[in-house]
Amino acid sequence: MGPGRIMADYSNYNSWLNESRSRAWSIYQSTPTPTTKSEEWRYTDLSKLFPLENFALKANPETSTETSTKKPARESLTDPINTAGRVQFTGGLVTNIQLTPAMESQGVGLDSLQNTTHEKHQEIIQANLCSHILPAESGKFQALNAALWTDGIIIYVPKNVRIEMPIRGKHHLVDKNQAVCTRTLIIAEEGSHISYVEEFRSDDFNNKRFVSSAVEIIAQKNATVDFVSVQNLGRGIFFQAAQKSLVHRDASVNTLNVTLGASLSRLDLNTQLLEPGANSKMLGLYFGDENQHFDHNTSQDHLAPHTGSDLLYKGALDGSARAAFRGIIRVGTEAQQTDAYQTNRTLLLSDKARADSLPNLEIEADDVRCSHGSTVGQLDPEAVFYLLSRGFSRQQAERLVVLGFLGDVLARLPRGAFKRVVKNVTDAVEQKLQHG
Amino acid sequence: MPKSELVENLDLDNYKYGFVDPESHVYRTKPGLDESIVREISRQKEEPDWMLKFRLKALRVYESKPMPTWGGDLSDLEATLKEIYFYVKPQEQTERSWEDVPDNIKNTFEKLGIPEAEQKALAGVGAQYESEMVYHSLKEEWASKGVIFDSIEDGLKNHPEIFKEHFGTIIPIADNKFSALNAAVWSGGSFVYVPKGVHLETPLQAYFRVNQERMGQFERTLIIVDEGARAHYIEGCTAPVYSTDSFHSGVIEIVVKKNARFRYTTIQNWSNNMYNLVTQRAVVQENATMEWLDGNLGSKLTMKYPSCYLMGRGAHGSIMSIAYAGSGQHQDTGGKVVHAAKNTTSSIISKSISKEDGRSSYRGLCKVLAGATGSRSNVECDALLINETSRTDTYPYIEVDEKCATVGHEATVSKVGDEQLFYLKNRGLSQEEAMALVVRGFLEPIAKELPLEYAVELNRLIELEMEGSVG
Repeated sequence: MGPGRIMADYSNYNSWLNESRSRAWSIYQSTPTPTTKSEEWRYTDLSKLFPLENFALKANPETSTETSTKKPARESLTDPINTAGRVQFTGGLVTNIQLTPAMESQGVGLDSLQNTTHEKHQEIIQANLCSHILPAESGKFQALNAALWTDGIIIYVPKNVRIEMPIRGKHHLVDKNQAVCTRTLIIAEEGSHISYVEEFRSDDFNNKRFVSSAVEIIAQKNATVDFVSVQNLGRGIFFQAAQKSLVHRDASVNTLNVTLGASLSRLDLNTQLLEPGANSKMLGLYFGDENQHFDHNTSQDHLAPHTGSDLLYKGALDGSARAAFRGIIRVGTEAQQTDAYQTNRTLLLSDKARADSLPNLEIEADDVRCSHGSTVGQLDPEAVFYLLSRGFSRQQAERLVVLGFLGDVLARLPRGAFKRVVKNVTDAVEQKLQHG
Repeated sequence: MPKSELVENLDLDNYKYGFVDPESHVYRTKPGLDESIVREISRQKEEPDWMLKFRLKALRVYESKPMPTWGGDLSDLEATLKEIYFYVKPQEQTERSWEDVPDNIKNTFEKLGIPEAEQKALAGVGAQYESEMVYHSLKEEWASKGVIFDSIEDGLKNHPEIFKEHFGTIIPIADNKFSALNAAVWSGGSFVYVPKGVHLETPLQAYFRVNQERMGQFERTLIIVDEGARAHYIEGCTAPVYSTDSFHSGVIEIVVKKNARFRYTTIQNWSNNMYNLVTQRAVVQENATMEWLDGNLGSKLTMKYPSCYLMGRGAHGSIMSIAYAGSGQHQDTGGKVVHAAKNTTSSIISKSISKEDGRSSYRGLCKVLAGATGSRSNVECDALLINETSRTDTYPYIEVDEKCATVGHEATVSKVGDEQLFYLKNRGLSQEEAMALVVRGFLEPIAKELPLEYAVELNRLIELEMEGSVG
């Protein structure tokens, strides 16, 4: 599976892909742009924040793929400290893939979606991508991504292969006025375990740019998938992400979404607990300043008995930043003995910041334990006073309280494997606090 | 005290299944709604010109607004609205004393458990029978204090200045489709004015019922509690069971002025074919307190969100509600608080029970505007599910535009615990008794706030409803 591997004839694959893209594009065109009249977009007025018509979405599905015929470089990962593999995205294309020899020998697949090097991966992609997990019908932007995606990765983990250390993906944007749409497909077979940490970074842009990410995850029986996404893009960007997980019997999908960057950020997160024993922990952390606008739209669907989900989204808002959270727990009639929780807490650090929260429950089974909580408030004056009395300056004290408040989310990550994530996120939050 | 005994004799079984008196009325409009009907209502009521204009404007707003697509299922309502009578006038004039009230109406009150003897304990009984106030009395001592407790029509005739100053200002015509409809065709309801500094010890009560098949009831109530005054208003409604859908859409406007305190208690037990779409709102001024105590037991679909607009510094709003959704029922209820001034506080406590395929939804808004520093709000919702097919939803909207504010929302959903039932059965209670006891315990925090007769009635109703609920 080296870089020099000869490609088979994938013309069938490509024709399938073209069809999928054209279909998605027609759905995109026929789906109206969401307005604040829709509950899911109640607090995000796209016509004001990011008028799509002003934006060059040159969407010709046939030509948009032309740029991406170059195979990414593949290397063996030689310094595998805390890392099982690496993926480099540049301007929406996978440019470099590294895997440890141990991963290769266990048959773990890490491959570009557009330029696969392995026939088996193509079969999996064709069977799963943009279809039954996150179809184009899911929404305007989901359709847009399905039509225009330039590249992405597939992570395939065979039965009973358990990888402790995460695969890390890095997205860098190059300064071209073009939409960047990428996809991630993670298939964890029975009894397997995989972690993926992706990070989006860029400079600030004066002109408005659109960056889209679509993530599709399947955890088969007894499998565990840990997924972390850290978004620290520059200003001027509308970042739109959709993540969907299908969780089977006794499997777990755990996610953490960190939102720090971009001018406008929208996340749609849906977890489907399909069979008994399925579980999902959903964590979120956000820190907004200046005129940033974050919108988190989450849903926890319990479709079988004995399933569990636990969501915690915490954030702080400075400047004239705004955050909206809309979360829903749906417990179907079949899903008895469900435990489902949902908490959203937001700190307002400035007079002009604003938070809106809609934690919803729809329960159709009776033998359940469900609760949700939501708070919006200011820094705990007692905690600040305590630190002041211990000799900290007001600024230091307030920073510490904010870090403690947000650190609560990071503390819930498994130790070890995510050490670097915790440090990076803490550093980034501290940096934002210093600017504030 | 004979009061509670009489309530004990209410015979809730009959009550549950409803009762119908032969129809008797002096005038009613043709079914459906158009401009001529609105003009006719206004003419019948001999209203001033500004009210006719108000009604006609409201009709246009009503026609231009689309049906809400949220909340409950309103898909059959359009057809229902074409068939109902928008105005029914049962009698020529408002009665002056109990003796003058016709016997069949007295019979109805008897069945409702409002015996003649009880009225002496009540401040004044404004009984709304069909769309009109048919009976009205007010204790003389209160009249001497300047308290006005009138039918809304008399309020308009006799107190035009204070009426016009407030009417339609708290809930504007265009607030929502159904408030616009009410503004166009309103008929019946109460007008209450409590002057400065007057404290009413006993509550004002108004009972009313609907007794005409396919008849809509559009009661409109305006209550003004002047500075430093205190009062409690109780409204309860029951309706007989009919086969075709019925519709009720009330508008309740309340102003609680500086330092005043007001509580509005309402229990609705409409028959299970009733659409109950009500807009209730209070404007609460400086250091005043408004309390809504809201019980929703009946109807096919209720959409009702009592609200407090906290407009003055230090104002407090409280909403306590109970919802019971039995088979075929959807209670879409909750509360709304808007913090528009500094140091305002609010609390919403909601308890709901869903049984069989009943669905109860909490839908609430807590909004803190910029500048409302020091505001605090707390929302608690608890839902109890009785059967496997029961459903509950929680849709709280929290919108905070002010840093120095604290807003919290919590909700829990649970079923009656097996251990709880086991314990009570060990102590010799039957399964059904144990179930009823647990449910009553669940409602206790709100039930204890109810006036005695309502609390007794509520408990009887819960027992009745828990029969055969053992799963």
